[in-house]
Amino acid sequence: MAEIVITGLGIISALGSGIEVTVGRLLSEKSAVEKIKHLQTVHCDLPAGEVPYSDTQLREMLNIAPDYNITRTSLMGQVALKEAMSQAKLSDKQNFTVALVAGNTVGGMEKSEQYYHHFLNDEEYKEYIGLHDCGACTEMIAQGTPFNFDLVTTISTACSSAANSVFFGADMLKTGRADIVVAGGTECLSKFHLNGFNTLMILDSEVCKPFDKNRRGLNLGEGAAFLVMETAESARRRNVVPICKLSGYANRCDAFHQTASSPEGEGAFLAMEGALADAALQPADIDYINAHGTGTPNNDESEGHAMMRVFGDRIPPVSSTKAFTGHTTSASGAIEAVISILSLTRGFIPANLNFSEKIDSLNFMPVTKTMQGVNLRHVLTNSFGFGGNDSSCIFSKIEQQ
Amino acid sequence: MSVYIQSAAQISIQEPLTEKWFAEPHIPAGNFNLSIEPDYKSFIPPAESRRMGRLLKRAVTTSKEALRKGGCEMPDAIISGTGLGCIENTEKFLNAMLDNGEECMPPTAFMQSTHNTISSQVALTLKCHGYNSTYSQQGFSFDSALLDAFMQFELGKIGTALVEGHDEMTPDYYNMLGKIGYWRKETADTEKLRKSKGVGSISGSSSVSILLSDKLNDNTLCEIKNIVTLHSPNKSEIWNVVSRLLAKAGVAMSDIDAVVVGLSGDAENDSVYESVMSQCFTDKPVVWYKHLFGESFCASAFGMYVAATILNNRFIPKHLLYKSDKGINNVKNLIVYNHFHNKNHSITLLQSIK
Amino acid sequence: MEQLIEELKQEIINALNLEDMTLADIDENAPLFGEGLCLDSIDALELIVLMDKKYGIKLKTAAEGKEIFKSVKVMAEYIASHRTK
Repeated sequence: MAEIVITGLGIISALGSGIEVTVGRLLSEKSAVEKIKHLQTVHCDLPAGEVPYSDTQLREMLNIAPDYNITRTSLMGQVALKEAMSQAKLSDKQNFTVALVAGNTVGGMEKSEQYYHHFLNDEEYKEYIGLHDCGACTEMIAQGTPFNFDLVTTISTACSSAANSVFFGADMLKTGRADIVVAGGTECLSKFHLNGFNTLMILDSEVCKPFDKNRRGLNLGEGAAFLVMETAESARRRNVVPICKLSGYANRCDAFHQTASSPEGEGAFLAMEGALADAALQPADIDYINAHGTGTPNNDESEGHAMMRVFGDRIPPVSSTKAFTGHTTSASGAIEAVISILSLTRGFIPANLNFSEKIDSLNFMPVTKTMQGVNLRHVLTNSFGFGGNDSSCIFSKIEQQ
Repeated sequence: MSVYIQSAAQISIQEPLTEKWFAEPHIPAGNFNLSIEPDYKSFIPPAESRRMGRLLKRAVTTSKEALRKGGCEMPDAIISGTGLGCIENTEKFLNAMLDNGEECMPPTAFMQSTHNTISSQVALTLKCHGYNSTYSQQGFSFDSALLDAFMQFELGKIGTALVEGHDEMTPDYYNMLGKIGYWRKETADTEKLRKSKGVGSISGSSSVSILLSDKLNDNTLCEIKNIVTLHSPNKSEIWNVVSRLLAKAGVAMSDIDAVVVGLSGDAENDSVYESVMSQCFTDKPVVWYKHLFGESFCASAFGMYVAATILNNRFIPKHLLYKSDKGINNVKNLIVYNHFHNKNHSITLLQSIK
Repeated sequence: MEQLIEELKQEIINALNLEDMTLADIDENAPLFGEGLCLDSIDALELIVLMDKKYGIKLKTAAEGKEIFKSVKVMAEYIASHRTK
C-alpha cells in the first residue's frame, strides 16, 4: 500500500495565523480563550476562542474586495489553505490530480443568521442564500486559489469532520484517485452554534479545564486548518520534503446516544484500536496523545476510559489543547492534527492548561507543563463528534535514511 | 473486487417504499412537492421516534427496508449524503433564536440540525459501531458518499455498506432557493420541463437508502463497475475519463444501452448534459428521473436507484426515456452521469448481473 | 396543586413529544428518569427550557435539574414556590 506523507500545513485559530505563531503561543502556555469580542450575541460574557481578525482584516490578508460575497468560514479556510499549499509548493497544477476535502458543520450560518429575515422577506443579501450550505463554503475556499481542483467535497460529521476529511483524502491517494489531496476543516463562530451548545448546557463560563475533576464544560472556538497529503512517491517526484507520515486512521461509531458518549467510550476505543491496527503499531509505540478533551464532564471521562482500555496502565503523555484554542468543532480535527504534527516534528508536548485535580475514575493525569526536547515517534490524535462519530489517527516521524 | 447493489428503498413524492413508480408513476402536479410519508409506527417504536424529525424517521425507515430487502442485518458502514440535513429542525432553532432573543431555545432541534444526525441515528437504531460518515456537497453529496464506499470496498475495508441520500424541503427554504433560481416561476409539468427550458425546475423531497455488498446474492439488483469524478472539466477531459472507465471495465461504448442523467428542465443545468451527451454518448437513449422525483440536493441518489431498478428489470419503461415513444428491452449496461452547476461531475458504470 | 400537576403533565407530554401518552399514564410520584418515564439527559434539557418558558424559572446547570425533576409532584412543588409567571 502506498505510503501517505504530509507535505504542507496551514492553520488559523484563536492563537493567530500560521504555524510559527501557533507553535510560539503553545510554548508560551497562554490560552487564547477570552470573553467574546467580535460575535454579536447576548451571551458575550461567555469565553470563546475567536480568531483575532475581523472579516475586513481577513479580506485584506487575502486581497479580497469588500463587495465580494464570502462567508467568514470560507475566509478562514482560504487563509489556512494558502499556507498549506505554499509549504507544499503547490503553485500550479501541472499534471497532478488534486482534490480538496474540507469539513464543516453549519456552513454559512454566521451570515444566514444575520440576513435571515431578508432571505425570507425581501431580495436583499439573496446572494448569501446560495452560500448557506456546507458544500458552498468549500467551493468558495477552492475558488480562492487559481487551482482547478479535480474534486471538491465536504464532510459533515460535526466535531470529527476535519479528521474524516483527512481519512477520505488518504483513501483517494491509496486507490490512485488523486495524486495529492488537500484535506482539513473550517468553522467560524456563529450565534447558532453558540446558542446550540448553550442549550445543551455544556459551555463553561470560564476557560475550560480538560480532564480536571471539576471541569464544567467546553468553550467554543473557530478556525481552519489544512494538510497537504500525497504519496511518498509523489513527494519525491515533485521534489518536496515530507514533514511526516500518516500511518493509520479509523472512523467508528459509538452508537450510544444522540449526543452523549457511552461511559466506557466504546466508539473512541474502537477508533483508537482501529487506527493502531491500520498503522500496524502497538499501544506502546504511541509517544503522545492529543486528546479530543473538550472539558465536558461526559467527554473527558468517556475518552479517558477508552484510553485506559487501549493503553492499560501505560498511558502515554496526554494533553488536550482545547484550553488554548477553544473547541473549533468541524475544524478541530485538522487544527489538532497540525498541532500534533508540530509536536512530532519539533519534539514538544503542549501543556493541558488549567488542570489541577485528577478525575477519580481515571488512572492518569494529563501533561500540565510543556515538555520540550522530547523524541516523539508516533502521535495519536482523537476527534469525536455528536452522534458518536469517533475518529482517531496516527502521524509518524519519517526515519532519516 | 466487485461491488453490488443488493437493494434500495425510497421515500419521495412517489408512492413510498415501493417500485410502483416504475410501472405507474405519479406525475407531480406542482413545483413544490412534499414526499408521501408511510406509516412510520410500523417501523419505529414511539419511544424511539419521539425525538426524530421527519427526515430522521425517513432515514431510519428506508435504511431498515433496504437491509431487510437485501438480507443484511448489520452493515459494515453507513454513509450518507445530504445537502441541507434536517433543515426543518435547523429552521426551528434559528427562528427560536431570532424570535426569543437567544433565550429558551429547543435543544432537541439543535441536536438534529447537524447533518451527521442522519447517519448517526441509523447507527444508533441498528447499534452499528462501524464506519459512519456524512457528506454535504450540494448536488454531489450522494456521489461523494458512494465514492467513499466504493474506495473502501476497493481497499478491502468493508464488505457491506448502506449508502444514502436524504433531503427534505420546507416552504421557507423553497422560497429562499426560489429567489436564486432553483424553481420554475410558472407551474411546470413533465412536458414543460422537457420542451421549454427555463430557469429552475420542480422541487422534490427525497430519501433513498441503497445497500451495497461485495458478494452476490439472490436479491442483487446490479453491479457497480466503477465510479469516477471530475471537477469543472472541459469536454475532452470528460471524453478521456469515460474512455478509461469503459476500457478498465472491459465494456465497449457500443455495449452501453442508455445514459441516466439529471436533466431537470433548468436551461443551464440541462445544457451541460446535452453537450456531454452529444460529445461522448451520441445517439444513446437518455433516461431522466427528476421529472418524477423532483430536484433536490440528493436527487442524484435517485439516478442510481432508477438505474439499479432498470437493470434489475432489464427494461426501461417509456416514461423514463427523455425522447422516445417506446420502452427498451434487454438492458445490460448503463452509465449514470451527474453534475452540479458544472462543478463536480460523477460518472458511474452499472451492469446487469442477469 | 392538583391543577398544576395536571397542567404540568400535559406540558411534559408536549415538550417531550410523548405522543402515545395520556395524563393518566403519568404517575406524579413515579421517577421521571432512570425508571418510570425513562427520560434521558436531553429530556432534562427540554424540561429546563419548559421551566424557563412557562414558569419563568431559570436553572443554571443540568445538575440542579436532577433534584427538581425527581417526579412530577416534586417538580410541581418547586414550581409553586419559585414561579415568576
